[in-house]
Parts: sequence; C-alpha cells; structure tokens
Amino acid sequence: MENDELVEKDFESDSEADLEDRKKVPKKKKSKIKSFIWNFVFYIVIVGGIIFGLPKILVWALDTQYPMAAITSGSMWPVLKTGDMVFIKGVTVLEQIEQGDIIVFQSDSNGTLTIHRIVSIKEGIITTKGDANFTEDTPISFDKVVGKTLNWKGDKPVRLPYLGSVTNLSTRLRNK
Amino acid sequence: MPWMEKQAGRPLKTSDKVIGIILVIIFLFVFYVVLDANKYKMQVVVIDGEGKVGVNPTTELLDFGDMSRGTESVRTVTLNNGTFMPVYVLVWQTGRLSEIVKVTDRNSGEPAQAFKLKSDTEVKLEFGARMPASAAIGDKYTGRVFIFKIPTFGL
Repeated sequence: MENDELVEKDFESDSEADLEDRKKVPKKKKSKIKSFIWNFVFYIVIVGGIIFGLPKILVWALDTQYPMAAITSGSMWPVLKTGDMVFIKGVTVLEQIEQGDIIVFQSDSNGTLTIHRIVSIKEGIITTKGDANFTEDTPISFDKVVGKTLNWKGDKPVRLPYLGSVTNLSTRLRNK
Repeated sequence: MPWMEKQAGRPLKTSDKVIGIILVIIFLFVFYVVLDANKYKMQVVVIDGEGKVGVNPTTELLDFGDMSRGTESVRTVTLNNGTFMPVYVLVWQTGRLSEIVKVTDRNSGEPAQAFKLKSDTEVKLEFGARMPASAAIGDKYTGRVFIFKIPTFGL
C-alpha cells in the first residue's frame, strides 16, 4: 500500500510538468511538419515557375516563339560549339539584321532550323555561311528568318555551354 | 579503426564498417581505372595554304602535325582487351583540339565515344581532325585524350 501511495504521489507531483512536456512535443512536431510543407510548396512553386514560367517570359521578352536553341553541329566553331545553348531575339523587319549577325532561319532544303552568320544581304535576299564551313548556304528570303542571337559585348552571342547537350540528347532519344 | 572512432566520437556500428569497406572498394576501383587509362596529348598547328598536311607522327602523342584549313588528318590508336572479361571503353577528350577531333571505330565507321570491348579482341580507334575554315592561321591547338577501360564483371 505504501508503495502504491508513493507511486501515486510521484505521478501526481510530476503530472503538471509531464502535461507541459506532452503539450510541447506535439507542438515541435507540428511546427516541423508545417515548415516542411511550407518549404516543399515553396520549392515546387520556384521549380514550377522556372520550368513553366521562364520559357513564357523569354518568349515575351525576346519576342519570338523560339527563344532558345541548342547547337547541334560545329559549323559555327569556335564562336558556337556543339552542345551550347543560345538565346534568340525575334526580328520583325529586315532592317533589324545586318551583315555579320548570326541568325536562325528555316532551311529551304529540309525545313530544319539553322544558325549561321549573314555574309551578305542584297535586295532582300540573305546569304548565310557557317564560320567553319567553306561554302555558303542557299540564299533565303526574310520570311524564313526566325531571329538573331542575343549578343553581349558587341558581337559575342550569349551562350550556355553544355546545356544544349541535354536538348540534343533528348532529341536523339526521341528519334530512336 | 581507432582513428575513425575518434573522428566519429563513438564506437563504429556494423553499418558504418560496411559503408566504409564499400567506399574503399569504390575508391580502389576508380583508382585502378584511372591508372590503367591510356592517356595521350594531341596537337595540331594551323598553316596557310590549301590541302597541306605536314607529316609529323610520334608514338608518344597524337600529333596531327601541320594542317591547312579544309584538310583532314587521321591518327589511329589500337586498343586491345587482354583480360578475361569484357570492358567498357570510354573515350574522353578535353582541350580546344577536342572540339574538332572525332573518334570513330575503323571497322564500322561509327562514333566510338563509348562501347563494349569483348575479351581477347582489339579495336582500332581513328582520331580524325578536320581543320575548319574558321581556324586561325598560326594557332596551335592542343588537347588530351583519356581512354578508360572499365571492367564489366559480367554485367
């Protein structure tokens, strides 16, 4: 009996502190879960914004449906290398481009997009050539031009090395 | 493992020991693969003119000699797998010259950046440098090639 009483007393004496502890632990757990959910939502919003929002922002800012392009060949070496990602700025009138600009255009022969440098513009007909190539491309009219590369420091195109390799790899896998 | 226990500040658990052994094995494996890799230096000098290819072959490096724009030069490396198991061959190029050098299998003509080489067989890898029109005359382009042979262990 004495023992039982003692135990009961002990329990009673600690009960307030225990209750506070019991209240505290779930609070901590709750706050941890809450912060985890908030962080998770925050990162989802950030990643989602980058994945879905950035292309739309680029389309709007660069005024073209093709704001980015991956380099698939070495025809513009050493200015652009295979695997580079470049930004394309849309052009609406012929006056926006000039000799020496690197433009993106739809090739007449196979309909694919090509990124080469303008060597001459005569009476609205644009002749291009890859820097590393020895021959000029088939001349094109302005309506085939999609845009020109976004440059920095004069005539150097803004490029993200290796990032285009991801696009090239996914295209290759899709075509397999 | 007293040193590790001192670092950890507690006695090592069995799981710690297992992870440690796995990490040591991975390290030794990577060390062996890197040590066993064939390593070559590459170089080429751009010269003026048309269709000029200077012959300057050495066995120590993949020297493409002097080349004028528009010319192509090929150097061959023979790779032999003398082990009892197939190996994965990984060709990794660095440096500015690597941007204009392509690696192909001489027999198939296919790109040979990564492939499986059976036991007791050999392959001839062709390193072809094509000098583009935009190469600057007088420039010397260099690079390095690492050919890793990774044992497959029957995988």
